[in-house]
Amino acid sequence: MSRLSRRRLLTRSASGLFGVGAVALLAACGAGASSAVPATTSSSQAAASTAPSSSAASTSTASAARSTAAATSAAAGGKVQLHFYSSGDVNIQQLWNNDLLPIWNKQHPNAPIQLIFSEHGATDQAVIDKLAGAKAAGKPTDIDLFEGGNNLRTYGEKGIFVKLTTADVPDLSKTPPDVVAEIGSYGVPYRASSVVLAYNSAFVKDPPTTLDGVYAWVKANKGKFTYNPPDTGGSGGDFVQATLEKFIPKADLKTFETSYDPSLEKEWDPGFALLKSLGPYVLNGGFYPKGNVPVLQELGKQTVYVAPVWSDMGLSYLAQKLLPDTVKLEQITPPFSGGAAYLGVPTGSQHQDWSFKFLQWVLQPDQQTVIIDKINGYPGLEWKYMPGTVRQKFAALAKSYDTFSFSSKFSSDVNKLWYEKVAGTPSPAKQ
Amino acid sequence: MQVVAPVPSRSWRHALTGLLLVSPPFLLMLFLIVAPTVQAILYSTGQVPTDNIVFQSDIDLVSSATPTLVVYQRLLSSPYVQADLAMTFQVTIASVVLVLVVGYILALYVRFSTGLLPSIVRVLYLIPMFIPVVIASYGLIEFFVANGFLQTILAQFGIQNMPSPIYTPWGIVLGQVWTGIPFAVLLLGSGLDGVPQELIEAAQDVGASFGRILWRIVTPQVVTPLLIVGTFTFIGVLGSYTVPYLIGPNAPQMLGVAMTAYNGSYQRPQPAVAMAVLTFLIATVAGAIYVWGTSRTERTAA
Repeated sequence: MSRLSRRRLLTRSASGLFGVGAVALLAACGAGASSAVPATTSSSQAAASTAPSSSAASTSTASAARSTAAATSAAAGGKVQLHFYSSGDVNIQQLWNNDLLPIWNKQHPNAPIQLIFSEHGATDQAVIDKLAGAKAAGKPTDIDLFEGGNNLRTYGEKGIFVKLTTADVPDLSKTPPDVVAEIGSYGVPYRASSVVLAYNSAFVKDPPTTLDGVYAWVKANKGKFTYNPPDTGGSGGDFVQATLEKFIPKADLKTFETSYDPSLEKEWDPGFALLKSLGPYVLNGGFYPKGNVPVLQELGKQTVYVAPVWSDMGLSYLAQKLLPDTVKLEQITPPFSGGAAYLGVPTGSQHQDWSFKFLQWVLQPDQQTVIIDKINGYPGLEWKYMPGTVRQKFAALAKSYDTFSFSSKFSSDVNKLWYEKVAGTPSPAKQ
Repeated sequence: MQVVAPVPSRSWRHALTGLLLVSPPFLLMLFLIVAPTVQAILYSTGQVPTDNIVFQSDIDLVSSATPTLVVYQRLLSSPYVQADLAMTFQVTIASVVLVLVVGYILALYVRFSTGLLPSIVRVLYLIPMFIPVVIASYGLIEFFVANGFLQTILAQFGIQNMPSPIYTPWGIVLGQVWTGIPFAVLLLGSGLDGVPQELIEAAQDVGASFGRILWRIVTPQVVTPLLIVGTFTFIGVLGSYTVPYLIGPNAPQMLGVAMTAYNGSYQRPQPAVAMAVLTFLIATVAGAIYVWGTSRTERTAA
């Protein structure tokens, strides 16, 4: 569930799309296609990504038209078949196929949902190309629901996904507003996870509750803390990010999140200096295990007592007894960042009423509790709307998380500079 | 048996068959090695193909109409890359020396000893060959790491806080020697088997010491296998990834690890490709030494 590796996956699939787009463009030129109507007629600020997606769109028009026919014929009876395109790890596939969809299908025999799952989002871009193609051709689509992240916003702004309101999905009002704003209202957050602080209560009687408290604890307890390098997983990545973010002037945060300007990177210097000063106090005098899981394993071996971990991974490890019972998770102040998974509705879907109903259904506490129990995620709803027992169980975690994240190029630079300025030579000066 | 077929046509056919037979490996070389190498050299000198989006995505892309060495200058002037390079050479040379020394001692032992123990050693030194590198690396980590198996055992005897080689350059050397030994002993062993027993016995008869026999009679006969083991280990360690990634320190990194980081996590494929070209050039030097060494012995043998 690492957000960074997910992001890297996105970057790769994006570059893959460019390749596909280029090939499609060539093919389109070769065939002398005249119908290369850009899918992005409205405000397109990202010129680079417009060209390939529009060219890919032109090639997938035919398949969209085909699928439209299928969808209309299905709608003929009173019964409709909904198609839900989802992606992620196997646990998400199981969550839908084994736990949530059987309940929905039983309750709504007139609108059964079929799941089309893409492991690790491998075919997400193809699905979006298909939607873009259908839109460019002015045809409806058979894709009724789509699970995504930033792509919902990117393509929502191009008119491919519905901008959701409380008129469509009443309980959207019960989800955290900043999490919805993050996606531009083009999706409903239905589950989430964040990075939290794990500590072993057998050794840490008075755990730090603030970020500054963490630094102080690390320096007071030599060798009992570690985190993973930012490029190897989101848990360490968010610890690094939170430390850098601490010193960035508020006015510049937006730039760091949405664009790229290397001249601003000097604002990271105090953050990197702080991280480097922690070096001698980190496990074995400065060893950073390579990945979210290796950090959890160090916690399990009790070689470290405090470390940042993903909430869902930490809870799963505790449930599987891979961590001692004495390991507790808590969210600190300011919180580490996290992210939600969203469900969106394509503008071309013919069963939008049902899609909206489904989104409303997913947000009900019953379904939200299933999600929490099965994959140890956070609810999409704000914590206060969850049943008391759930809130009690998650008391130390049931806080909001930071939605900030560096843009792709900035986070690549964070990776590089972390290796150079924190792990790299000259080795950390003993303080 | 009569030879009636016209000679020119036959040799023409022979030539064609020969060409056809040799073309698959040649084409493979052309497409998988030569073409990417040329492409890499062009890209790293600023000749960026406009249709390659991955190449275009470099954050610090250097693009120029005429070939330029800016990427290499930037790379080699970075103190961090210098540290990476220095560690790569140190680890590579240490690994080559240790593989040769340990491999040669093992091969000599197996060749010149008799009894049960040498036959056991003969089986043992092959074991690393059958264990995948990833698994072997984790095995070495679990055994040698701080608070690992070895330190737990030593602690029983009151020895504590012994420094662990894991997550240091020496850990990488350890891993490389482990993976390099089987090949080295096999090759050196077959070289030693070629040394005529009569020569050794003759030397013993005239009263030569073991050291003298080793230095004057045995070693000169296995120069070629030593050279092959040395160059192969050098090239293998130089470009290695798994062992240094798993067992090595966070920084500095060996070139293979640094290359991957530049290509992926840092979004800078151009310096990554430049590092690949540098690695390729260094490996070419080692390859040249190998070719020179083997062709020399072939000539003397003939």
